[in-house]
Amino acid sequence: MEVISMIVNDEFGVMQRIMGEFTRKRINVETIVVGKCEVPGKARIVLTVLDKEMADIAVERLGRLHDVEDVEIVDESRQSAYALISTSKGWIGLVGSRNEVAEIIERARPEHYINTVNAL
Amino acid sequence: MDVLRSENVELMFGIPGAATLPLYDELLDSGIRHILVRHEQGAAHMADGYARIKRSPGICIATSGAGATNLVTGVATAYLDSSPVIAITGQVPTNVMGSDGFQEADIFSLMMPITKHNFRVTDPSTLATDLRSAFRISMSGRFGPVHIDIPKDVLTRENGVQPPPTSVDATRPGPRSDEALVAAKMLMAAERPLIMLGGGAKWSRAGTEALAIAEKLAAPIVTTLMGKGAVPETHPLVLGLVGMHGRAAANYALDNCDVLLAVGARFSDRTVGEAGSCNMKVIHVDIDRTELGKNICPTLGIVADAKAALSAINDLIDLKIHSSMWSKSSGDMMGRCDCDIDVCEDPISPRKVIFELNRILPQDAIIVTEVGQCQMWAAHFLEIRDQRTFVTSGGLGTMGFGLPAAIGAKFAAPDRKVIDIAGDGSFMMVCQELATASKENIPVAVVLMNNTRLGMIKQHQRIFYGNRLTAQDLSGVDMVKLAEAFGAEGIRVDDYRDLVPALETALESEGPVLVDIQINREEDIFPLTLRTAAGSTVYRGSCPYNGGC
Repeated sequence: MEVISMIVNDEFGVMQRIMGEFTRKRINVETIVVGKCEVPGKARIVLTVLDKEMADIAVERLGRLHDVEDVEIVDESRQSAYALISTSKGWIGLVGSRNEVAEIIERARPEHYINTVNAL
Repeated sequence: MDVLRSENVELMFGIPGAATLPLYDELLDSGIRHILVRHEQGAAHMADGYARIKRSPGICIATSGAGATNLVTGVATAYLDSSPVIAITGQVPTNVMGSDGFQEADIFSLMMPITKHNFRVTDPSTLATDLRSAFRISMSGRFGPVHIDIPKDVLTRENGVQPPPTSVDATRPGPRSDEALVAAKMLMAAERPLIMLGGGAKWSRAGTEALAIAEKLAAPIVTTLMGKGAVPETHPLVLGLVGMHGRAAANYALDNCDVLLAVGARFSDRTVGEAGSCNMKVIHVDIDRTELGKNICPTLGIVADAKAALSAINDLIDLKIHSSMWSKSSGDMMGRCDCDIDVCEDPISPRKVIFELNRILPQDAIIVTEVGQCQMWAAHFLEIRDQRTFVTSGGLGTMGFGLPAAIGAKFAAPDRKVIDIAGDGSFMMVCQELATASKENIPVAVVLMNNTRLGMIKQHQRIFYGNRLTAQDLSGVDMVKLAEAFGAEGIRVDDYRDLVPALETALESEGPVLVDIQINREEDIFPLTLRTAAGSTVYRGSCPYNGGC
C-alpha cells in the first residue's frame, strides 16, 4: 500500500479532475481523506493505492494538473491509520499504525466500520 | 475582450447562442474578427488548424448545451495532437446551473479529461485572470487545449476588472547537462543509430537540430505521422513515415537500429505496434514527463523541449561519420523502394493523385488531410519538402478534421496554398463548412479521393474479416452538386488525364473548390505493417518491388 499526499486548490471540480487521472489509468483508490490544511484556499488530500508502480504513475500525472500544487509519496513514519467502528457499546474511533488499526478491527469484528489512512 | 486583444487574438471561430450573446455584442466593437461556422465541430478544427500553422492559440466559441458538446470532438482532437486551442463556452446563468435549465450541459465536466486544464468562471472578477491563465497554460510545456466555461450572468456582470499583464512563459526547458552527455555518448557508441521524430519535434521546430545530429552520425531519420514534415523528406538520410502504414525502409530501420533517439514521440500503437516490440536502447526526449515510460521503458529519459535537447546533444557530439554500412543499407532500401506511383490508368489510382500533387504543389503548400485511406496515401506517398507543412489528425483520427482545419490554416497563412486531401467518408462529416469557406471567400482546395466507400473499413474487412463487407458503402452522392449548393466550385474527374488541369484550377481559384476525383474503388493502402514483439507481419499489396515503398 502506497500513500500519496497532495496540496490542491479547495474548489469545486478539483476532486473530479484528480479522480479522473485514476480513472484513466484504471487505478483504484483504496482510501481517501480530504480536509482543510495550513495553506489558505488549499486542501490536503491523502489517498492510498495498492502498489508502487501505480503510485508512481499517479504522482507523475497528478503533478501535471494545475489544481495540484504539490504531490508526494509519504513513507510509513508519516502515516497514521484511522478507523471508526460501531460496536455494541457504540462508536469507537481508532488511531494507530495501519497494522494496529487493522488488528483491532479484525478482533472486534464490528458490524460496520470505515478504515482509512491519513498522513502529514 | 481586453485580454483577447492583448493576447494578439485576431479572429475566433464559432456560432452564437443565447448564452454567448453578451459576448458577441461586445465582439462587435472589439476589432476581433469572428468567423461564423456551420457546426461547432468545424469551429474547433478551424481553431486547431489555425494554431498548428501559427504556433499560437486558436480560439473557438460555442454556446451552452449542444453548442458546447459539439466542440468536444474538436477539443479532444487538439488534446491528442497537443495543439493550443482555447475553447470558450457559454453557460446558463449561475442561478439556473444544476437545474437542467434550457441548453444546459455540464460541459465543465465533459471537457475535463480532454483539456490541459479548464475553468468554470463563477465570479466576474476572476474572468480576466482565468482567460489570461488559459493562454499561458495552452502554450506552456507540452501545448494543449484549455477550456473556459462562462455563465451568462458572469458575462453581463463582467465589471471591467483590469486583466493582469500577459505572462506567457516562452522559456523552453533544456536537458540536464549530464543527461545530454550520456545521450551523446550512447549515440556516438551506436553502430546503428536512428532518430525518430514525433509531433513534439514538429511543434518545437527541431528539424534543423535533428538533421545536424543525423549528418554527424550518418544516422537515418524516421518520422511518426505527427512528425511528418519535421525534416524535409528529400534529405538522403530521411526515410519518411514509420509505423503501420509507414515506408518499408523506415520500418526496417526501426526494427534494426541499436540506439534510437526518439524525440517528441509517444510510441503509439500505430507507430511501434505492440508494447515490447522495441528492443533497442532508447533515448526518449519529451517535454511531458508522463510520456517517459508510458508506452516503452527508455534506457535514458530526458524531460526537455525537443529543440533545446537536440541542440545540447548535438553540441556534445564530436564525431563525423560520412557513411556507414548502416546508413548505406537503409539508404539502399529507400532507393529500392522508391517505386513508381505515376500510374496512368483508369479508374484513377489514388497514388496517381498523390504523384501529381507532389509535382504541382508549391514549395510552401500546406497539406491538410482528412482521416482514413486518403490520409494514409498522403502520409505514405506525399513528399513534404522545402517549406511544405503537413497537418493531420494523428492521435484521435478524427474524421471531418480536414476541411475545417484547412480553412483555419488558410486564415493563419493567407499567402500559402492550402489543400485538404480528403476521402468522401471523412469529408461528408463536415462538408457544410464549404459554406463557411464560400461565404468568407477562403480558397481552399478539397482534393477528394472519392471511392464512395468508408475505404479503410472496407480494407480492414477485406484483410482481417474474410472480405465480409458491411456498413462501408457511401455511394449515391453527387459531390459536384453538393459543392455548388454550398457556393463552391465543383470539378469531377473520371480520367487521369484530366487530373492536372483540375488540380491546377483548384489551386489557382480565388474561392473554395472541390475536385471530385473518382478513384479506383478497389485500391487499398499498402504496405500495411503490424509490429508485434515476435516480429512484423507485412501486407504488401501488389507492389512490383515486393511492397517496399
